[in-house]
Amino acid sequence: MSPDSICTDITNKLNTGILIIDNQYNIVFWNRYLEIHANKKNGNIVGQSVFQIFPELPEKWFKRKVESVFQLNTQSFCSWEQRHHLFELQHTRPITTNSHFMAQNCTFLPLPKDGNEYACILIEDVTDVCHYQSMLNKTLEDLAQANRIDGLTQIFNRKHWEECLEKEFSRARRYQHGLALIMFDLDHFKLLNDTYGHLGGDLVLIETAKVISSLLRLGDLFGRYGGEEFAIILPNTDKIGALDVAERIRIAISQNVIEFQNSDVKVTASVGVAVINENDNRYEDLISNADLALYDAKDSGRNIVCVAKELVEV
Amino acid sequence: MSNLNLNEDQQDCLQEIINVAMGQASDQLARYLDTFVYLKVPSIEQVSTLSLIETLGSNENSAAVVSQGFFGYEGIRGEALLVYKPKDSHRIADLLGYEPDELSVEEQIIDLSSILTTTFLNVFAKQIDNQMSYSAPRLLAGSQSSVSDHLAQQSFNWDLALKVKITYQVTDYSFNCDMILFIPESAINNIKMVIDRILEEF
Repeated sequence: MSPDSICTDITNKLNTGILIIDNQYNIVFWNRYLEIHANKKNGNIVGQSVFQIFPELPEKWFKRKVESVFQLNTQSFCSWEQRHHLFELQHTRPITTNSHFMAQNCTFLPLPKDGNEYACILIEDVTDVCHYQSMLNKTLEDLAQANRIDGLTQIFNRKHWEECLEKEFSRARRYQHGLALIMFDLDHFKLLNDTYGHLGGDLVLIETAKVISSLLRLGDLFGRYGGEEFAIILPNTDKIGALDVAERIRIAISQNVIEFQNSDVKVTASVGVAVINENDNRYEDLISNADLALYDAKDSGRNIVCVAKELVEV
Repeated sequence: MSNLNLNEDQQDCLQEIINVAMGQASDQLARYLDTFVYLKVPSIEQVSTLSLIETLGSNENSAAVVSQGFFGYEGIRGEALLVYKPKDSHRIADLLGYEPDELSVEEQIIDLSSILTTTFLNVFAKQIDNQMSYSAPRLLAGSQSSVSDHLAQQSFNWDLALKVKITYQVTDYSFNCDMILFIPESAINNIKMVIDRILEEF
């Protein structure tokens, strides 16, 4: 058995596509694997242009790529992560993946022979890798999403909401934009929990979050600050705008009737509003101003909107 | 630990081989890219795991890092990292001779990395009578995630590496990037043997 015949044997049994072209982009050789997966009608493809046999190839890009292999006499790569596939080939998991064509990692090798320039393209089937990597990416995305969301109310959790506020705060500072904060707390929530049980309380939180979400603009950031306290970041919003939103929130909550075990549950909220001012050095200052306004609202008899007092320069 | 250090002769010899390789690589690249490519005199030093994290991790504003493994005869192997800054990366398609809509920014960066790495290492390998093979280049960190995020997840199984840093400049395209070659601890002795042989032949 000669080494040559061993090589031919292996080439034809390899689970990798081998395509050799000359510097005129004409096909010189392809192995059995590529022949089978390409599934072309025309029998003898040797001598034909690679662009004729594989019209799906991006011709200009492909030529420049091969040029680099010839000119720099070095190998070049093409990964499925940047290009899902170069050649439209069948793959081995048509049933259990949703990939139409074989995902490929391609390697371009310079192959000088007898004074002529050839390029060898190795084509590996990575449909499997591509499939599982896509699933992993989707899972990571879901996890990242779950990490931002409050499990009960499906709005932002406190951690993510504060991160948003930190960003919005520095953005407002940098670009001299307005920024308003609304914090509200459901009135006598403990009593509600005692009357209807925690399931009833939970339902009130869920329904309230739903109602408020529908009132907000796209850029507004709504989060659950803690227990029965919620907070909304209103970017590019002044005091008048924020007060208008706050009042609509107060009214919406007070008019919302939540049905729980055949009884109509009604709830009200006390609302505090603060807008960014020159004395706020950190985003936490904005929170404490809104919080103070919220306490004012509680002290003034609840179901009311209060705005943070502005410091008067003496 | 210290016996891994290259002595003065070895250091000079390696420096000289790299200088010659840089000259040839720069010439080849200039012809392919049709513009002048400057390679700045490299620094060669021994680094620890910790300093790798400091060097790469502190560089928060690097736009992308591409890794490509290389391996040749006599146990010469390592990993090449190409580090790009955001402001440098917007004319790469132009530089490579592609239309910007033919390929994504990621692919441009990966393509260029592979060209810079393999061109240099091929001529370097020829200098030491060797021949290199390469793994496919991979984007470690792009616009989505920072290098430090990537490094923070690693528990390194090496303490020391030989680090060769070369800066590429293409002034016509106001582009520059760093190529950092890391030879892991396990391969440092192999490269020292090769250097010693070259020194003997002189």
